[in-house]
Amino acid sequence: MKDSLFTVARSLVFVVFALVLCALVFQFAGYNALTMLWAVADGAFLRSGAIEQSLRWALPLFITAVGVGISFRAGFFNIGAQGQFYVGAICAAFAAEAFKGGPAFLVIPALILSGMLGGALWALWPGLLRLRSGTDEVITTLMGNFMAGLLLVYVTSGPLKDPSGSGQQASSRPLDAAYRISDSLGLSPTIIAIAAAVGILMWLLVNRTAFGVLASLAGRNGTMVEWQGARLWKLGLSSFLISGALAGLAGTIEFMGPNGRIASGFLPAHGFTAILIALVANLSVLGTAAAAVFFGGLASAALYLPIMAGLPAAAIDIINAAIALFITARSKFVDRVLRLGGRPQ
Amino acid sequence: MSNASKPALECRDVTVKFGDVTALSDIAVSFVPGQIHAVVGQNGAGKTTFARVAAGLVQPSAGAVYVMGEEIRTGHVDQSRAAGVELVHQSFALPPSFTVAEAMEFGATGKGGIYSRKGLVEKWRAHLASLDVQVDLNRRIRDLPIETQQGIEIARALVMDARVLILDEPTAVLSPSGIDMLFARVRRLKERGVTVILILHKIREVLGIADTVTVLRGGRKVEGPLPIAEVSAERLANLIVGDAIARTLDRHERDALVGTTSPVGEGAGHLEHKTAPSVLTMKAVSTRPDNEGIALDGIDLEIRPGEIVGIAGVEGNGQKTLVRAISALADLANGSIRLAGEDVTGKPLAARRAIGLRIIPFERNVEGLSLTSSLWQNWSARELLQGSLLKLIRPAAVREACDRSLKEWSVSYHNSAQKAGSLSGGNAQKVILAREVDSQARLIIAAQPTRGLDIGATAFVWQALRQARDHGAAILLISSDLDELFDISDRVVVMLSGRVNGEFRAPFDIASVGAAMTDAAARTSA
Repeated sequence: MKDSLFTVARSLVFVVFALVLCALVFQFAGYNALTMLWAVADGAFLRSGAIEQSLRWALPLFITAVGVGISFRAGFFNIGAQGQFYVGAICAAFAAEAFKGGPAFLVIPALILSGMLGGALWALWPGLLRLRSGTDEVITTLMGNFMAGLLLVYVTSGPLKDPSGSGQQASSRPLDAAYRISDSLGLSPTIIAIAAAVGILMWLLVNRTAFGVLASLAGRNGTMVEWQGARLWKLGLSSFLISGALAGLAGTIEFMGPNGRIASGFLPAHGFTAILIALVANLSVLGTAAAAVFFGGLASAALYLPIMAGLPAAAIDIINAAIALFITARSKFVDRVLRLGGRPQ
Repeated sequence: MSNASKPALECRDVTVKFGDVTALSDIAVSFVPGQIHAVVGQNGAGKTTFARVAAGLVQPSAGAVYVMGEEIRTGHVDQSRAAGVELVHQSFALPPSFTVAEAMEFGATGKGGIYSRKGLVEKWRAHLASLDVQVDLNRRIRDLPIETQQGIEIARALVMDARVLILDEPTAVLSPSGIDMLFARVRRLKERGVTVILILHKIREVLGIADTVTVLRGGRKVEGPLPIAEVSAERLANLIVGDAIARTLDRHERDALVGTTSPVGEGAGHLEHKTAPSVLTMKAVSTRPDNEGIALDGIDLEIRPGEIVGIAGVEGNGQKTLVRAISALADLANGSIRLAGEDVTGKPLAARRAIGLRIIPFERNVEGLSLTSSLWQNWSARELLQGSLLKLIRPAAVREACDRSLKEWSVSYHNSAQKAGSLSGGNAQKVILAREVDSQARLIIAAQPTRGLDIGATAFVWQALRQARDHGAAILLISSDLDELFDISDRVVVMLSGRVNGEFRAPFDIASVGAAMTDAAARTSA
C-alpha cells in the first residue's frame, strides 16, 4: 500500500514539475503562464461538456495504454502501439468492406475482432523476431510504425479510397451508419462498455492470475523464471499479442466510432501518448485509467485552445513533451527530490 | 633498505561504511615487509573490503593507510599503485579473447597504440619466465587453465615493481594441486622481497603458507598479525567463528566450515538407499556445444533416494552444464535422462519439476531470485507454473502461504511484499530453500548453495540438505569447496572437461580426489 501511494505521489510530482517547466516556457514565449494553464484546465475539464470531450479521447488511449503496460511489465519495450493501432483500423476497414450488408449484430463484433487480430498481427512479427532470434523489439516495433503509416497512406489512396474525397487528405469510404458504434462526438455506451470490459479483464489478468505474477517476474528477471520451468516465449509472445490486440482495438474504435472512416495519417500521436500514459501510471491498470483521463483532457484541450481561447494548440505538445522528459529522468531525478524511495528499484 | 624497519603496509583506524552498513570498523594493523601474511575470516568479515582499501579501490570514511612508512591518499588506485601496492582480484579480470602477450601489454600499462604481436611476445616473455609462468604467449586467455590465468594475473600485477601484493581468495578457484603451485609461486615472490598478503578462508591453507595471520570478524580485527608459530588450528578456528557460535556447532561441523585439517568425511552411512530404485539416472549424456559452458561428454550418473552425491571439480569443467542438462536448459546431443522412474529426456523443465525436480541454482541473484520482485512472487513462482497460466489466484492467500513457509524456514524479513533484493545473502538463500525444498521434492540440485554465506547460514543450508536427504530426497550437491563436499556427501563424483573422472566414497582422500580434478589419466575409483 505504501509502495503504491509512493508511486502515485511520484507520478503527481513529475506532472507538477512538467507543468512548472511549461509555465516557464509559456512565460518566455510571451504568454501569461497562468492564463495559459488555466485555459488548458478549462478546456480539458472545467467548461461544460469538457468531461465528455475528454473521455472521448481518454477511452481509446486507455485501451492502448493498458496493452502497452502489459508488454512493458513482461519486459518487452513494444513501442509499436501506433503501428498496431493503424493496422487494427485498416483490418477493420477491410472487414467492413467484406461484410457489407450483413446484420449489424454480427458485423460489429466481426469488425472489432478483425481490428484486434490486425493489431495482434502487427505485434506478432516483432515478438517472434525478438523471442526466436533476439532482434531488439524497440527497433522492429518502431520500424513497424513507419510501415503501418505508409500502409495506411496506400490503402486510403488505393484499395479503400473514397472517390468522393476532397483530395486534401486521402481517406477510406465511410462506414455504413448501421455499423457505427458512436456518433462523431465519440462517446457512446458501447465504447464505454468496451473500455470497461478491457479494464476489468486486464486488471484481473495482471493482478489475479498466475500469468500476471509470472509475466512480471519474467519482465524483471527472465532467467529466474526460466529456471523455474517457464517458457519465456510463451509469456513474452502472449504479452506482445495482447498489447497489439488492444492497440488494434483502439484503432477499430476510432474507425467505427467518432471517425467513421480511416484517413491517411489520422491521430499520429495516439500510440506515443499511450506509452506516456502507461509510464506515468507506472504500468498499473488503475493508474492507467487515471492517467488516460488526464491525457484525454489535454487532447481535448488542444482542440479547444485555438478556437475558444485563441491560444496555440502547441501548448499541449509542450506539456506532453515536458511530462515525457520528466518520466525519462524519473528514477534518478524525482526519486532524489522526493527522497522517499530508499534504494532505487 | 632504510625502510626495512617500517611496515610494508599499515592501516590506522580504518573504517568503511556502505550506506548504513559498516563493512570495516577501526581496523588497525601493520604488516612486516618480506613476509607472507594471511588475512582470514568468514564471508562478510570484511576481508575483501580490507584488500580494496589497501589497493585504493574503496575510500574509507575514516583512517589512514601507510605504505613503507609513507601515508598514501586513500581511495585512489593510482596512488596505491605508485606506492607499490597491487591487488589480484577474486574473479579474474583478464579479457578472455586477448592473447597472453596482449593481456600483459594492455592490462599492465593500460596504454593503447600500434603494436606488433611479435614485439609484444618478445617484450613479455622474459618477465613471465622470471615468474615461472610457462605459457605460449600467443595463446588466448580463454584457452588457458585457471592456474595459468592466475599466474598471468600475478605476473601482470608485478610489472610495476610491486612491493606489496594482495591476493584476494586466490585458492577459491583452484584444485588442491593448483593450490600447491600457487603457494610455491608465493614463496618465490617472498624470496624476491615482495610482501604478500593472502586473503584466505581455510585454516589449513593459512598454516601451510603464512608467516603471520590476522583474523577479521564482522568488520573488526579480532587478532593479529600473530606469528604463525604461536597459533594452533583450534584457536584460529574459534577466533574465526567467534566463541559464542563455536559453542553451538559440533566440532566436526566447525572443522568443515573453517577448513581446519584435511577433510575426510565420515560417510553418512545411509545404507538403505543402495537397494531403492534410483531417482536420477543419466546414461551416456552428451550436450551440444553452446556458449554457456563446456559441453558434457558421455556422463553416466545415478543417484538413489536418501543419498547426497557431491560433484567436485575445478570450476568450469561442466558442472553448470550438468545442472542445465538435468533441468532441460541445455540441448542433449546424446543419451537419456530418467527422473523418478520416468524417461524425461525430451521433456521440458516444467514437466520435470512436476515429478519432483528442485533446483537451488548457481547464481542466487540471477537464476534463483528476481531481486526487484516481491518475496511472495519469488516464492510462488514454482507453484504458479504448475497450473494453467490463466488460473485465478488470490494474492492475499498466496502471501499468507508464503508467510507461513518463510517463517518455517526462519527467514528474517518485514513483509512478503518487500523486494527480494533487500535480503541478506543468507536470508535470500533461505527463501530459495523455502521454495525448492518441499515434501514433494524427489531430486534436489544444490549448486554452490553456500557460496558467499556466513558460517551460520552455511550450517543452516547443510542442515536443510541433510534433513531433505533423511526424508528420502536425493541430493546432487555441486561445490568447489572440498571441505563442504566431503562433510556432507555420501559419494563424490569428480568432473573434468565435461566427463566423470572418478568416483569416491567416504572416507575421502583429498589427494586422490584432487588428482582426479586435474589429471585426466587418474581414473581412480575408491
